[in-house]
Amino acid sequence: MSLSPLLRKVFLVDLLKGLSVTFNNQSEKERITEQYPLERPVVFERYRGQPRLNVNPDTGESLCIVCNLCALACPEQLIVVKGERNPVTKRKEVVSWTYDLSRCMFCGLCEEACSTDALELTQDYEMALYSRDGMVLDQAALEHGQEPVRYAK
Amino acid sequence: MSDSTKLDYLDLDVKDKTFLDTTEMVLNMGPQHPSTHGVLRVILKLDGEKVLGTECIIGYLHRGVEKIGENRTYTMFNPYTDRMDYVAAVSNGLGYCETVEKLLNVEAPARAQYIRVILTELCRISSHQVWLGTHALDIGALTPLFYAFRDREEILKIFEKYCGARLTTHAFRIGGCIYETYEGFEEDVKKFCTFFLPKLDEYEELLTTNRIWVTRTKNVGILKPEDCIALGVTGPVLRASGVKWDLRRAQPYECYKDLDFEIPTGVNGDTYDRYLVRVAEMRQSVRILQQAVDSIPAGPIMAKVPKVIKPPVGEVYHSIEAPKGELGYFIVSDGSTQPYRVRVRPPSFVNLQALDVMVRGMLVADVVAVIGTLDIVLGEVDR
Amino acid sequence: MLDAIKSYLNSGMTPGEYGSQFWATIYIVAITLGVSLSVIAMNWLERKILAHMQIRLGPMRVGPHGLMQPFADALKLLIKEDIIPANADKLVFWTAPVVVTMTAFTTFLVVPFGRTHAVTDMNIGVLFMLGISSLGVLGIIMAGWSSNSHYPLMGSLRSSAQMVSYEIAMGLAIVCAVLMTSLQTGTGTLSMIGIVEAQNAQGYWFIFKFFPLGFIAFMVFAIAMIAETNRAPFDLPEAESELVAGFHTEYSGFRWSLFFLAEYSAMLAVSSIAVTLWLGGWLRPFANTLSGPTWDLAFSLIPGLSFLVMAAGTLLGTIRMPKIVQMRAQAIGLGVFGVLLALVGLVMLLPGVRERVQDIFWFVAKVACFMYLYIWYRGTFPRYRFDQLMKVGWKVLLPMGLGVLILTAVVGLRQELLAAIVGGAR
Repeated sequence: MSLSPLLRKVFLVDLLKGLSVTFNNQSEKERITEQYPLERPVVFERYRGQPRLNVNPDTGESLCIVCNLCALACPEQLIVVKGERNPVTKRKEVVSWTYDLSRCMFCGLCEEACSTDALELTQDYEMALYSRDGMVLDQAALEHGQEPVRYAK
Repeated sequence: MSDSTKLDYLDLDVKDKTFLDTTEMVLNMGPQHPSTHGVLRVILKLDGEKVLGTECIIGYLHRGVEKIGENRTYTMFNPYTDRMDYVAAVSNGLGYCETVEKLLNVEAPARAQYIRVILTELCRISSHQVWLGTHALDIGALTPLFYAFRDREEILKIFEKYCGARLTTHAFRIGGCIYETYEGFEEDVKKFCTFFLPKLDEYEELLTTNRIWVTRTKNVGILKPEDCIALGVTGPVLRASGVKWDLRRAQPYECYKDLDFEIPTGVNGDTYDRYLVRVAEMRQSVRILQQAVDSIPAGPIMAKVPKVIKPPVGEVYHSIEAPKGELGYFIVSDGSTQPYRVRVRPPSFVNLQALDVMVRGMLVADVVAVIGTLDIVLGEVDR
Repeated sequence: MLDAIKSYLNSGMTPGEYGSQFWATIYIVAITLGVSLSVIAMNWLERKILAHMQIRLGPMRVGPHGLMQPFADALKLLIKEDIIPANADKLVFWTAPVVVTMTAFTTFLVVPFGRTHAVTDMNIGVLFMLGISSLGVLGIIMAGWSSNSHYPLMGSLRSSAQMVSYEIAMGLAIVCAVLMTSLQTGTGTLSMIGIVEAQNAQGYWFIFKFFPLGFIAFMVFAIAMIAETNRAPFDLPEAESELVAGFHTEYSGFRWSLFFLAEYSAMLAVSSIAVTLWLGGWLRPFANTLSGPTWDLAFSLIPGLSFLVMAAGTLLGTIRMPKIVQMRAQAIGLGVFGVLLALVGLVMLLPGVRERVQDIFWFVAKVACFMYLYIWYRGTFPRYRFDQLMKVGWKVLLPMGLGVLILTAVVGLRQELLAAIVGGAR
């Protein structure tokens, strides 16, 4: 064996290099742990999270026109929309609107299919519940959005 | 799932031929094991510490993805492909979209192709990072896992900014991309490249010359090129055995023909070579990223594809170079909105067959190293 | 009573000589508590330091910065269900952790923390330590055998083979150090206190004697001691990814905590041997080159100052705690801890205390360095496969130990050797 590799082997250079890497990574600026739930991660705009039925901010009525495109687009067929035609405004209005969160895979196809920006997948991600009963969301729950339990005594 | 009582493949009733008459032990590395990368069950026939034969029992993660494909429309099936190789979800989506595009005889526009290539190469780096971390963890080095996941975090942030999800990305659509690049996409990718290359040097410092790593991985799990080709093994495993076969060069798809990159190959086909090949692939991916991000053309991102996709009757097979090997989709269309058959050729499933060949004559500790070096994901093996 | 204590502390006699069971009992209790406390501290330190090397934070919730985590772990282990495998050999199953823990603690009988601070000063101290630590192997085999399951059996057999082979290399390195006590000055000695006194008399620590021979002997011992205690990179018997947990797979709750206690006590014990034999035991650094009253004063301030530095760090951490109402209890706790550390540091700066505390402090500081090295190696190196591990022990360390022993003898006796050769030639 030539001299340089032999010296490196005898003086354990490779092991010392590894040791220096781990030693240098101890400094505080390298740590990236987020201490949830004190520090909640920030998600970005396009995040596909909790679904929400949007409401017209001025009039307060739902933007959904019961076109049923979202229900047709969903791979799991977990959206059920029932509407009836309002004879006065000659437009369809929502009677019942359910979304089964337990089977949703957050693929976003319903959000893409919606023609009026009524259905939106928001940036909320704290959707854990203790039982499956609360997982089928109705219109009120969908419009209200979500209130995660804050970390408190 | 095969009947696990019939292990005649392992010749258990055959009397031991040596005059020492040692009894052979059957060891079950069960579905729950810290190192089998998922729910893989490996039955080892041991003579002391030496492995005489193995049998893999899979199917613990079978979810019927191919059957699901027969009951969904082409657009609806797209999100399901992410869940097969959940470590590298973007590649799966790419393979599926390209196959359906081939069936429909459309091509994604140039801008969409560049976006696809950038995201796929990021996905390749992220998949190799998972491999690096878990493989090092199996061999005993605890820290590279965390370093690898830190780098992966940056990639997943880019994915999240682009398509809204980190793991099950559903990034591409049939005909192109639906999401336009966000404000600052190119800067983010460039920042990642400059951030990542020194980190890769750090991992190499930690592992490549480390004598313990070298003695653990050199001459372990040697796979000869003839065996590779006979078993159908593809991906970095094939390239480490010396066969220079990469689908990005052999059957170019997307815009890879315009990009300049090398295909790293190994010499011996042992675990150490597979490690070197994958690390070199990560460097080449960064090279592709740096080229592609500077030359994204302007234009549309979606080709003219009907809203309801009804491809003509026919069948097509198309494969891409996923991080783990050749990922192929075989779609049979009967003219309706739902495919007649979607068959996925998962690279991990085919590579796993090489486990038996690689592990004969090795010690028990090497089985873990070899499973790690094959880079299998059980979601893909079982579908 | 107080006079008896004072007269003992001022006597400067070695413990065994004084011959008092009372003092031996006090020291036994002190060392048992001290070692247990060290193991608890090691638990916290290992988790925090390993976490920082892995760019994460480690325990942060249980107590401020996870300081109460070891107590939570201990409590959890104590209240766990005691499971004994169905066909296990109950008596052996019961006694195995006891044997391992007993041997680990018994080695501390001869470890000297100061010139008079030891339980006893056996004149075969080194031999005693080596013998008792070899007995620990018996406990491991008992554990693996009685568990009636092949994972623990394989693990325990591997572990015992590994420990036995590295003990030989350890023994050779120790003989080298013992040889150095007699070279070129007085008589040789196997007594631990005697070895440190020999280093004191000769004026330098044995790690620097006949450089590089002392250093090579120290390195052989350092590597062998890691293999002896089944720590990374030689921890295949405990490797989670391959054998679940090796010989202590079937142990749960308090029995497992005894194994854990024994492992860390063994680490402390072999580190104490290394410190005593090569690093000058309780001697302060530069005892001969930087001597004199001013230097003595300067070095005697270091224990107090180190505690004050730790207190300052703790109080800094208190200030940087998130200022929300949920973290108030933790911030107050951390502040109190910081104040306590500062008080201890101030007490250690008092003139009466600082001379007495010197020896113990330097010894503990050196052992603490070894503990940090253990954690550092665990975070960095992959583990050796079993046959490679045995190859390193037999084919690398054993010849190195033999070689350095012979070379030490030759170099140490070079005048006599030269005279014999010249005389013989004439």
